[in-house]
Amino acid sequence: MAKLRCGFFKFTGCAGCQMEILRLEEEFPRLLELIDIAYWPMVTTRGWEGDLDVAFVEGSVSTPRELREIKEIRERSKVVVALGECALTGCIPSIRNFMLQREAEKRVYDHPLWIESIAVRGLDVYIEVDIHLPGCPPHRNTILEVIKGAALGRDPYLRRHSVCIECKLKDNGCLLTDEGRPCMGPLINAGCGAICPSLNRVCEGCYGPMSATNASSHAQILKEIGLSEADIRRKFRKYAGWTPDFRREAE
Amino acid sequence: MTPKLLERSRLDDLVSILSNDYQVFGPVARKADVSFQEVSSAEMLDLNYTTTTLPPKKFFHLRETLLEYREGEFNAPELDLERSILLFGVHPCDLNAILRMDRLLSKEFVDLYYLRRRENSAIVALNCTEVGENCFCASLGTGPAIDKGFDLLLTDLGDSYLVEVGTLRGQRMIEDLNLEDASQADLRKKEELLEAARAKFKKSIRMEGLAEVAAESPDHEVWTLIGESGGLAGCFPCLSCGNCSLVCPTCYCYEVADIPDITLRAGVRRRELDSCQLLEYAKVAMGHNFRPDRKSRVRHWMTCKFGGAGGGLESSCVGCGRCIHSCPAHIDLTEVAKALWGE
Ligand code: SF4
Ligand code: SF4
Ligand code: SF4
Repeated sequence: MAKLRCGFFKFTGCAGCQMEILRLEEEFPRLLELIDIAYWPMVTTRGWEGDLDVAFVEGSVSTPRELREIKEIRERSKVVVALGECALTGCIPSIRNFMLQREAEKRVYDHPLWIESIAVRGLDVYIEVDIHLPGCPPHRNTILEVIKGAALGRDPYLRRHSVCIECKLKDNGCLLTDEGRPCMGPLINAGCGAICPSLNRVCEGCYGPMSATNASSHAQILKEIGLSEADIRRKFRKYAGWTPDFRREAE
Repeated sequence: MTPKLLERSRLDDLVSILSNDYQVFGPVARKADVSFQEVSSAEMLDLNYTTTTLPPKKFFHLRETLLEYREGEFNAPELDLERSILLFGVHPCDLNAILRMDRLLSKEFVDLYYLRRRENSAIVALNCTEVGENCFCASLGTGPAIDKGFDLLLTDLGDSYLVEVGTLRGQRMIEDLNLEDASQADLRKKEELLEAARAKFKKSIRMEGLAEVAAESPDHEVWTLIGESGGLAGCFPCLSCGNCSLVCPTCYCYEVADIPDITLRAGVRRRELDSCQLLEYAKVAMGHNFRPDRKSRVRHWMTCKFGGAGGGLESSCVGCGRCIHSCPAHIDLTEVAKALWGE
């Protein structure tokens, strides 16, 4: 089997998703039998040459330069993988979209005039994405699944149901229905293995909206258990406020 | 065999005798719920529990590896059946659900994995003298008492437990305890306590004919209220989260997937419980989905629980109340039934 020529790109994000790939320490030697690292600034100085079988793109598009680059990546890659929540939804950086662009720039930079930025958006807005790999960062097993799927020439097996399913499969008590705590699990994409609820922390939503969310109903539930309107807005804004699923509740 | 009496203080003797031959699991109180967990003494048990988060199905068909494959060859893994398990304190609703699954999964569709686990299990049931706020088994005839399916059956009489024996195996379990026979008064007390329990139910359901009513009412406004907007009797619209079916003792549908290892030449075939409330459940080849909207999914799930889906009456509701408690939106099957009956 020919190895997959893979490129790894970083846009606006924290590099945590790429780190998660590097954390596949045990599997890495075997992984290199499946893929060729054609481009990956984080691990090699080698420049980007030729076309790619799979491009992993971490981060959101938030500058004109990234906008030009994502189009080029699309043209030169057979499969584009949106790696992680920033690439999917804009994630935490997209909180910026809820304030005026210039105001945000002024808060961070001494010389905002030097900054060239646009609204923080997921890759979908600009190009056709083949594989969406949710998570902030995606679980290492799901990253492996994407690579194995690409090598086998089939879609990766990534379920799009709620975190609650994973939580119940682990026989956890429910933080929401047993304790009245504001868990976002019923809206959020599975894949993490319900880590937070298993450790007595409510799901904050870092895998973004699942496939069939009902945000307005959940907002009513959060209100019923005592959250203020401002807190409910924050809950929806935190990771995926700019998505069609959550935007109404996040505004 | 004549029913026996077990003094409350000797419950631990029973548990320790059982532990010699079985891995014993029973209801254990956790932070805010109760769960079937392994126990080594009676002290660990919470026998006043009303319900557990997952029903006993967690021991029989939650998720597992079906086969392992390598280079075109495959074999089924040895099930981990070294020690028989014993479920202690199973309530009548849950035991009725187990008996239904036994039938459903052993007829035209034989689930060997399930059946082998079941054969490897024993059950000490516990009649309900207290009733949970969401329970409605009495209106379905699936509780608060049961007369079949157990090795031993306990009823809490206060200072002691009435012990009824269902199988030879059950008889052996108590042989060494030299229990005295229960008196007629003890048996009368059991009936009185169960009668008193029957009077405590706050919820009920009229099930006979309900599947037909549901089938004839695909456009009933109740489906819009719980599936789209409005809500019903204080509930919010469904979230499609799947909690209800994961906790339901008669929901058995599962998902199967092959998971290759990193060599791509070997891997495992896994299954885990699925839910018809999830969008992807009804997605078929070429991407078509025959239940794309929430309303049709929630309607299908309810109809199944009314006995009107593929599993027929075997997968219908036993009244345990778990779906009501576990639903973040408070959707209540008994209220949906009332609305369909026009009550
Ligand atoms: S704790 Fe959260 S994720 Fe787990 S079942 Fe409850 S709502 Fe869902
Ligand atoms: S439908 Fe609800 S009440 Fe009925 S058996 Fe299932 S979980 Fe229990
Ligand atoms: S638990 Fe409630 S909200 Fe979730 S899928 Fe079931 S009915 Fe809908």
